[in-house]
Amino acid sequence: MDTFLAALFSGTSRGAIYALVALGLVIVWRGAGVVNFAQMGQAMFSTYIASALIQNGNSYWVGFFVALFAGSILGALLDILIMRPLSNKKKTELLSSESMRAAVPVIASLGILGALQALAGIIWAAEERGFPAPAPQEGFSVASSIMPFTSFDLFVISIVAATLVMTTLFFKRTGVGLAMRATALNQEVARLSGIRTNFTRALSWAISGAASSLAGLLITPTSNLSPNTLDLVLIIGFTAAVVGGLDSPAGAVLGGFILGLVISFVTFYLSPEDVFISILGVLLVVLIVKPRGILGGKDARRV
Amino acid sequence: MRDVSSSLKNPSIIRRSLRRTILFVLFILVLGSTFEPYNQAQLAVVLIYFIAVLSVTILTGISGQISLGQGALMAVGGYSTALLMTNYQLSLWLAVPASIVGAGIAGALLGIAAARLSGPYLAGTTLVIALAIPTIANRFMSVFKGDEGLSVDVGYPPAWFTKAFGEPTYEAWQLYVVLPFAAIALFFASNLLLSRTGRMWRSIRDHETAAALTGVNFSRQKIYAFIVASIFAGLSGALYGLRGLVGPSVYPVALSLTLLTAAVLGGIRSIAGAFIGTVIVVFLPDWIDLVLKNFKLSEQVSNFMPALISSLLLILTVVINPAGVAGARHRKH
Repeated sequence: MDTFLAALFSGTSRGAIYALVALGLVIVWRGAGVVNFAQMGQAMFSTYIASALIQNGNSYWVGFFVALFAGSILGALLDILIMRPLSNKKKTELLSSESMRAAVPVIASLGILGALQALAGIIWAAEERGFPAPAPQEGFSVASSIMPFTSFDLFVISIVAATLVMTTLFFKRTGVGLAMRATALNQEVARLSGIRTNFTRALSWAISGAASSLAGLLITPTSNLSPNTLDLVLIIGFTAAVVGGLDSPAGAVLGGFILGLVISFVTFYLSPEDVFISILGVLLVVLIVKPRGILGGKDARRV
Repeated sequence: MRDVSSSLKNPSIIRRSLRRTILFVLFILVLGSTFEPYNQAQLAVVLIYFIAVLSVTILTGISGQISLGQGALMAVGGYSTALLMTNYQLSLWLAVPASIVGAGIAGALLGIAAARLSGPYLAGTTLVIALAIPTIANRFMSVFKGDEGLSVDVGYPPAWFTKAFGEPTYEAWQLYVVLPFAAIALFFASNLLLSRTGRMWRSIRDHETAAALTGVNFSRQKIYAFIVASIFAGLSGALYGLRGLVGPSVYPVALSLTLLTAAVLGGIRSIAGAFIGTVIVVFLPDWIDLVLKNFKLSEQVSNFMPALISSLLLILTVVINPAGVAGARHRKH
C-alpha cells in the first residue's frame, strides 16, 4: 500500500510537469506547425538565468518570474528570427510535401537546441548544479509516519493546475486566444479574416516558451541543472503529446499524466530499466488503436 | 521529355548505377590512400554513416515517412553481428550479411505499426524506439552484457591480402572492410531511386490518395520502404559496431538525430545529398577545431565552440536553403 501511494504521488507530480511540457509542444504545433525540439533547451537556458540570479543573492521568486519572462521572449525571438523566415519558404517545391514540412523545422529546432546547449556551456560551464525548490522536499508526517508526498509536490501540482486553467481560459475566453485557435485551424483563412498570423505565431512560441520554462524550474530541483539534463524530459513530453493527440491541448495534459504514472509505477514495481520499453509499449498500443492520439482528431484525407 | 522516356526503359538504369558505384569506389580508394591514418578512420566513419543516411534518404526523402529512430535499427544490426561473431565465431563477412536479415525483420515489424502513422506521430514513435531499444541491452544482461557491451573489431587482413597489397594500417583496413559494403549499398540505392519502385514511393510521398487512385497499394509499399531502409540501417550499424564496441552508448538517440541532420543538410532526396551531408557531419568538427586552433580560448569556451558553430551553420543552411546543399539543382523528381 505504501509503495502504491508513493508511486501514485510521485507519478502525479512528475506527470504534471510532463503535461506542461506536452502542452508547450502542442501550442507551438497548433500555432506554427512545428514540433519544437529546442523547447527544453529554451527551458534549460531560462532556468540557468534564474539560477544565476538566485546565486547573486536575489530571492527565489525574482529568479522564477524573470525566468518565465526570459523564456517567453526567447521563444518569440526564435520564431521571428529563425522559424518565420523558414516557413516563408514553404512554397518551394521541396517543402510542398507533408513529410518535408515536418522534417525541415525539426532540423532547425535541433540546431537551435545544439546552439543553446553550447551557449549555456560557454556561459555557465557544463558541471551539474543544484537548483533550489521554493518548498521543502521532505514528506509530510501524518500520525508519526512519513507520507511519500512533499510540500514541493503539492506546490508543483497546484501551480501546474493553475497554469492549465489559465491557458484554457485564455484560449476559450479571450479574443487573442480565439485568433490563435483560428490560426491553428487554418492559417490562410485566419489571415483572410484579418488575423495577424505572424503575431499569433510569435505569441504561441512565447506562451510555449513560458510554459516550458516553468517546467524547467519545477523539474530541476529534483534532477539538477546542466546543459543536457532536460533532453529526456523533452522526449517524454513529446511522447505524452503524441499519446494524447498533438492537436489537442487537453490530450497533451492527459498524456502527460498517463506517462508520469506509467513511469512512476514501472520504476516502483518493476525496475527503472523497463521504463523506456514500457513507454514504447503504451505508445504503440495507443497509436495502433488511435493513430492520432487519444483526443486527436479524425484521420481525414483530402484529394 | 526524351530524358524521361529513356529512363523509363530500364536497361540503362543498372548501367548508370554501376558507373556511379565504380566512380565512387575509385574516388574513395584514391582519397583513402592519400590520407593519414586518423583521416582514414574518419573516412571509414563517413562510409558507415553514408549507408545509414541512405536509409533516411529512402525512408524520409523518397517514401515520405519521417524517422527519428534509425539508430535503433543500427543497434539491431550491430548486436546481431556482435552476437554471431562472439558466440558462433562467424567471420564478419558472414555475420554482417546475416545480421542484415535481423534488421530487415525488425524493420518489417516496425513498418507494420508505422504505416498507420504520419508526420509527427511517426516521428514521436520512432524517437521512443531509438530511446527504448538500446535499453534492452541492460534488461537481458547475460546476452547483451549491459552497458559494458560486446567488443568486436574488423580483425586483421587475411594473408592473401597482405601478400598482394602489402600490410595496411589498422585504420586503412577498417576502410577497406567498409568500402565493399558501402559500394553495394550505393548500387542498390541508386537502382532503387531510378526504378519503378522509386517512382511509386515518391508518388506516395507526394500524395497518398492520388497514389492510391493510380493503383499503388500505399500501406504495403510503405512497409516495403521501411524494410529496405531498415536493411540499410542494420548494415550501417553492424559496420559501426565493428569499430570496436557494440553497446547502448554506441547507438544513442543523438545518433539517429545526426543521421537525419546529415540527410537534410546535404539534400534529403538524392544520393549525392546523402554523401555530402555525411561528409559535412563527420568532418565539420575537425575543420572547426583546425580554425579554432588559431585563437586563444579558455577551456570552457573551446569545449563548446565547435558545437556552437556547427549548430549555427545547421540553422543557417536550413533557413537559407531548406532543400539542402545538393537539393538546389534537383528539379526532376
